[in-house]
This record gives sequence, C-alpha cells and structure tokens, in this order.
Amino acid sequence: MNKISRYFLVLMTILAAAVALPKLYWLAFDKPIHVPFVMYSSQEHDFFMIDRENDESVRKDRQGNYYTRDEFEVKLPMFFSRQLAMNGNMPDSLNGMDIDLQQINHARSMFRYRPRDMQTPDPGLYPLFEAESGRANLEMPTDFFRITHRMEFLDAASNEIDERKSQMFTTVLDNRGFNYPAKMIAGIPTTRKSCDEGYFVVDNEDMMYHVKLIRGEPYIRKIEVPEGLAFKHIAAVDFMDKKYYCYLISEEDDLYILTQDLYEFIRWPFDALKAETDELRVYGNLFNYTVQTRRPGYMKVVALDNKYNKVDEYEKTWPVSSETKQGKIASFIFPAELRLSDSTTNFVDFNFELMKRLNWIYLNIVLVILQILIIRRSKLKLNRNILDLVIVGVTGIFGFIAVNFFQNKFFD
Amino acid sequence: MIKSIVYKEWIKTRWFLLILTAVGLLAVGNIFLKVQHAITFNEAHKYWYLVLFQNQQYFKGLKFVPLVIGLGIALVQYIPEITAKRIKLTFHLPINENRVLLMMLGYGIVVLLFCFALVFIIFTLFSQHFFGEEIVHAALVSVTPWFLAGFAAYFLTAMIVLEAIWKYRVFYFLASAAFILFFFEKGIAGAYAPLNWKLAVLTLLISLSLTFSAYRFRKGEM
Repeated sequence: MNKISRYFLVLMTILAAAVALPKLYWLAFDKPIHVPFVMYSSQEHDFFMIDRENDESVRKDRQGNYYTRDEFEVKLPMFFSRQLAMNGNMPDSLNGMDIDLQQINHARSMFRYRPRDMQTPDPGLYPLFEAESGRANLEMPTDFFRITHRMEFLDAASNEIDERKSQMFTTVLDNRGFNYPAKMIAGIPTTRKSCDEGYFVVDNEDMMYHVKLIRGEPYIRKIEVPEGLAFKHIAAVDFMDKKYYCYLISEEDDLYILTQDLYEFIRWPFDALKAETDELRVYGNLFNYTVQTRRPGYMKVVALDNKYNKVDEYEKTWPVSSETKQGKIASFIFPAELRLSDSTTNFVDFNFELMKRLNWIYLNIVLVILQILIIRRSKLKLNRNILDLVIVGVTGIFGFIAVNFFQNKFFD
Repeated sequence: MIKSIVYKEWIKTRWFLLILTAVGLLAVGNIFLKVQHAITFNEAHKYWYLVLFQNQQYFKGLKFVPLVIGLGIALVQYIPEITAKRIKLTFHLPINENRVLLMMLGYGIVVLLFCFALVFIIFTLFSQHFFGEEIVHAALVSVTPWFLAGFAAYFLTAMIVLEAIWKYRVFYFLASAAFILFFFEKGIAGAYAPLNWKLAVLTLLISLSLTFSAYRFRKGEM
C-alpha cells in the first residue's frame, strides 16, 4: 500500500509539473506572433494588409508595395470611409455606382467567431424579447425559457413556471411538429440590438424553427433544412442591411447564411474553416465580403462579391510558436505540455500536447543516467528501481522531479 | 481499540471541526444574503441575466472555504502526533501500524464528508430557492472542484505533516501546491464539467498518501 501510494504521488507530481513548468517557461519567454490584418479593396480589386515588420507597423499590398497611411486608406474606401470623408478624399462613385456615407454605413458589417463561442457550457435558459412591443427600446423580460420535454417559461422573481405562457408556446411547437428536446438555441440575448429576431432553435431531429414573441403571441415558423444538412453552430447577427439572420457552421465545417424573410440557406464558397480550432472573421461592405479564417501558423482570406460569389483569395503561413527559437528550446526540455485552459474552449480539461520535435529525448537519456547514479549513490538495488527509470525515461524532467521528490528509499 | 482511536481523534478535532463547519455555513449564508440583496435592489430577472450571460458567479464566496476546512482539520489532527513524536506511541500499540493510520485517515474523511455535505446541501437548497435548475447545475459543476480540493488538501497536508525531514516537506509542499492549483482554474460557470470526474479519480488515488510519509517515519528516516 505504501509503495502504491508513492506511485500515485509520483503521478500527481508528473501532472502538476507538466502543467506548471511549461506554463512558467512560456510566461517568461513567449513572444507575440503578429498576424497581418488583411482587407479586400473594392476599388483596386486586390488584397491589402497591415503587417508588422522589424517591430514597426507597415501597410502594403499583396505584391509587397509599401504605402503611407494616407495612400493606404485611399485604396480602401469601404474600410476607411469616415477618415476619407473627413479629409475630403472620399470618392463619389465606385465601380460605376454612386455612393454616399449613409449607404456605406448601412451595408457595413463585422462578425467574429471564436471556437470558444461553440465550445462552451450551454446556459439552458434564455430571455425571449417582445419583438413588437411598440416601444423604441427592447425590454428585458421577467422570465426565461427552456426547451426540454416542452417549452417552459420560468419567472425569475418567483422561480416558478408560467403555465399559461408555457402551454401557449408548447402547443404551437407541437403543431409545427417539434421534436423535443432542443439541441441548440441561438439568438442574441441582449437588449442592446437594433430589433429582436427571436431565436433559431434546432430540434432533436435537426429541424430548425424560428421562435419569436410578437405582441404577446408565439410566432413559430418551421424552417426547411435541406436533407442531410445539420449545423453545429449558429451565430445570430444584427446587421443594418438585414440581408440574413445568422451565420451557420455545418457539421462538415461549411459556412452558411440564412436569408432574412425568405429563410434560404446559402452556402458561402469558403472551405478553409475548422470550427473546433479556427477563428473566423467576416467584414462586409457595399461591394464585398472579406472572409478570414486563422489558426496558429495559417490564415486564409477569401473575398466574395455582394452576391456571395468568390472573387479572390489569399493565404499566408508563418512559423508557429513551436518553430520559433523559444519553441525549439522548449522541445529540448519538455517532452509534452499539459494545459487546463485552452484558448479554443471555455471548458476546463486536460489538454495534452506532445512536443512536435523529439529533441527532449537527449535530456531524458541524461536524466535516466543521472537517476541511475542517484540510485547507486543511495546504495539501492537497481533492479528494484526499474519502474522509476522507465518513468524518467518516458516523462523526462517531470518524472525526474517526481521520483526524486517522492523517493523510493525504503522499498528495496 | 477502534473506539479509543476515534475518541482520541474526536478530542483533537472537535472544536476546530465545529468552528470550521460554522465558517462554511456562514460563507453560504453570506453568499445568499448578497444574492437576496442584489435581487431586492436590481430585480430578479436582471440578476439572472447577469448570472446566465455576464458570468456573474454568485457562488464565488465559497471558493477557498473547503480548502481551508480540509487544511485546518489535517493540521489539528496530525500536528499533535508529530510534536514530541507522539505517533511513535501509537505505532507501539498491538495493532497493525497501517491500520492505525487508516483509522485516523478514515475518521478525517468521515468528518470532512459530514462537514462538506452539510455546506454543499445547504448551498444547493438555497440555490434552488433563488435560481432555475440550469443555473444551479452550472454552479454545482463549478463548486465541485473546490470541495474536491478540500479533500485533496486534507490528504496532502496529512502527508506533509507526517514527513520527518524538512527538505522533503518542502518538496511535497511544492508538488502539492502545484496540484491543488488544478482545482482553481479560472472559468465560466459550468466550465469544469469535463474535468470533475478526472479530478475526483486523482483525489481518490492520493487519498492514501499519508501512508507513504508515515512509512518513511517508521523506518527511521528522520
């Protein structure tokens, strides 16, 4: 029992060291990696970017021509319209179309998706706003709904179910053929939006429903999802041009939009996304959408026209942290890293990552030899300490610390 | 023999147990007084909104309470044993040495279970009074590692106290402290859902760790 409890303590120490030591290392030596900010110019029909070179911010185009800030902004009138208007440089027309600032602002949209938006605990309760209250501002309702074996409204003050309202919504959902429980409920649960479009609810058989509250009555519409299409993430948006309700990421990592009023699913020609690990940004304007995905070491930018057809694309790779000088040194010290938190998820879990380079083998061999010397010096029998040597050989510095913190002295 | 050992442990710990349990209950009381105050001044649905969507962690006042209880019980239970090496007398009793230790450990686990269960149940009941089950569930997922940390702290403190050599005490402390941090990672409510059972298994695995340092003690490493 004493011996077994020692090995459990060794295991505990290995885990603790595998979290703490790399964390301290990166805290001390990590350097930021700059990723260019890429924009598609509706005027030049090409990509422009703000990058960092020799610790300085530079503006350039895809061919590598550098620009001053003023020159750069003139190339990108859709991104810098306010500044150009202030300087009096704003063109009156673009691509044969008359434009004014109001129009530009109306068509401008910005969207950002991070993997942790999808990989996060589900709140389970949502506020359903009155969409047509006749008031200028939205008001926070006093109850929250859930969709489990039926749709229930829970009053916050009394913590009791509002039977009448629950019954009313459940009946309509039943009539529309809803399969309980809801798999996903997506909306914008805040009063700080231009108007309320309710929630997009995916039922247990991947059918979609649009659920709203209009003048005290349920508005529930079944949305026909094409056969075989299922979504793993839905992000509702509130853009001024009201062209679509939400961005949707399918199980196959395709990017869709759901058009306003017509409820059409349109797949965007963008296939670089891995929703579990990649960040996605979409910048929309009067003429184009700049869709950008990035993960460590790689980014892809696709420009679409305003009918969502692909017009151009841009890709870039750069060394990830394991390929930098600090990363290479780390691979000589640590065989692996264990992280409890990860930027791609809101969950806390063991995120184990083996070093990509096998440089740590050298240190592991040195530590095994050192451990043999320690065993000899303590006049212990080598054959009783084989397991310790295996632990050091496999887990390297973590195991070396563990077996020496919790010594094997009396178990010979 | 079992009775007298339990009685001895009870004499050592009773007052601290009472005080620490009271501290735990006061912490829960304080949490829900705050919740009630916030709801009175800010309306229930607005407070629910903060909890659901703005990461307002109403339960965070409980964070280090089980840790302090586990640590406290371990200190009052095992420090008297090593002052003047009293535990050596225990090891001279006509009973298996490990069995004595396991009885002491078992006593500690039972009183901690009792104390934590009391705090946990009262916390759950109050949560259910104020909040919907989704909010309560996320809160329980978040406080569970803190209670596990209480047990882990108890087991590891017992091991550190029973170690005879200061150098190793420092080593054990470093390893234990780094491990205890696992239970206190920052996160939104419900974030620990995938890790809780793994932490529970690890806590169970180290539950017998005091037998390791006590073995060293008995074999004369001092």
